[in-house]
Amino acid sequence: MRTIVFMMALVACGKSGGPDKASGSAASARDAVLDAWKTAKLTPSAMTPATVTFAKDCQSGTVEGVDVLLCSFASAAEAKAAEDQGLTWISQATGASQAHGAALVVLADRRKTDPSGRTINRLMKLAPK
Amino acid sequence: MRRSVLAVLTFLTLVIVAGLAAPAIAGGGRQVHYVGIHPIPKSEGGGICYIEGPHVHIYDADKIQYRDHRGSNYFVGDPVAYGYDGKRYAYKGHHPIHVNAVVGDDDPDDEYCYLNGPHYHYFAPPEGPEFRVAGDAYFYVGEPPRVYADARPAMMRINAVYQPIQYERPIVTVDAPIGWIGARAEFVGPGAAVIVDAPRGGVIVAPPRAGVTVEGYIPAPSLHVDVGIGLPGVIVHERGPAVIVRERPVIIEERVKIKHDNGRHRGHR
Repeated sequence: MRTIVFMMALVACGKSGGPDKASGSAASARDAVLDAWKTAKLTPSAMTPATVTFAKDCQSGTVEGVDVLLCSFASAAEAKAAEDQGLTWISQATGASQAHGAALVVLADRRKTDPSGRTINRLMKLAPK
Repeated sequence: MRRSVLAVLTFLTLVIVAGLAAPAIAGGGRQVHYVGIHPIPKSEGGGICYIEGPHVHIYDADKIQYRDHRGSNYFVGDPVAYGYDGKRYAYKGHHPIHVNAVVGDDDPDDEYCYLNGPHYHYFAPPEGPEFRVAGDAYFYVGEPPRVYADARPAMMRINAVYQPIQYERPIVTVDAPIGWIGARAEFVGPGAAVIVDAPRGGVIVAPPRAGVTVEGYIPAPSLHVDVGIGLPGVIVHERGPAVIVRERPVIIEERVKIKHDNGRHRGHR
């Protein structure tokens, strides 16, 4: 009886492990971007959940005064397909929307803290492919 | 009378070119797509935008210094003229730009730079036979397609944009390699031409007062000096050794005096 209960518990853990792995993978794409920035001694703000129409799993914050939206997708192809839609989040500002693996990185200089675009360029180049 | 007409024509040319080169704020704050490094209009603060990948601004690009690359504006001018302080590569004369190689995408797109004389870009050309390096500058020695020649008259206006800009261009003091596009007769620029036939003993060319200093002793067989009135460039076609061409911002004058009394003419009356 104990063996049966133990086996059922294992099965239950296995089932719940599937989605967690998927979301973990998506989150890791976003984390990889943040880690790359931190490694370069940049200091992203706390990232908070963001609601946008073109993705379900997004977080926003700021890095070096530039607004950041990081969205995770199931695949790199889906992230790539969302690049143009990411531009809608930038609105009326200088910005860029690029897929980096399964993550979509959207940057917007709404406060004009990066007039030369050097920060945006650096952030995009640091983000892992 | 003739002087005043020429002065008016020159002024009108500059006004038209300036108008074409002036970017405007995009209507309604709409996004305008760019790719690669480009200057920022003075109305937006000036300087250089260093974003290398695809990005957006809310101001337009002008029609002379930019080409369309898959819906994005790609800058084909000299960024150093606008304060670019990054790595740079010297070129002399017209040449193709393989835009996809510069911006790193998979959409083949060859555009052409129509800047006369020495200038800079922020990229080197891909290795291959169409460019040769001499004096630390790239010279285009390939065979340009028809599209280059067809667009040339209109695109040459880019030189008028750079004419009033004071900046340090590269100094190229070497002979152009054989096959350089700037020395090919079929690509001689439009405009009034003054052709000086050199005598067999050689000729010393006095600096014409058109913003270009030509120094050197050209033994033979010929030297062509084309002066485009109303255009920014004086194109010097070198054949033979040791011709030094130093180009400065051009001051357009109505009359260009060139000594060319080689024994066959008695001069103009």
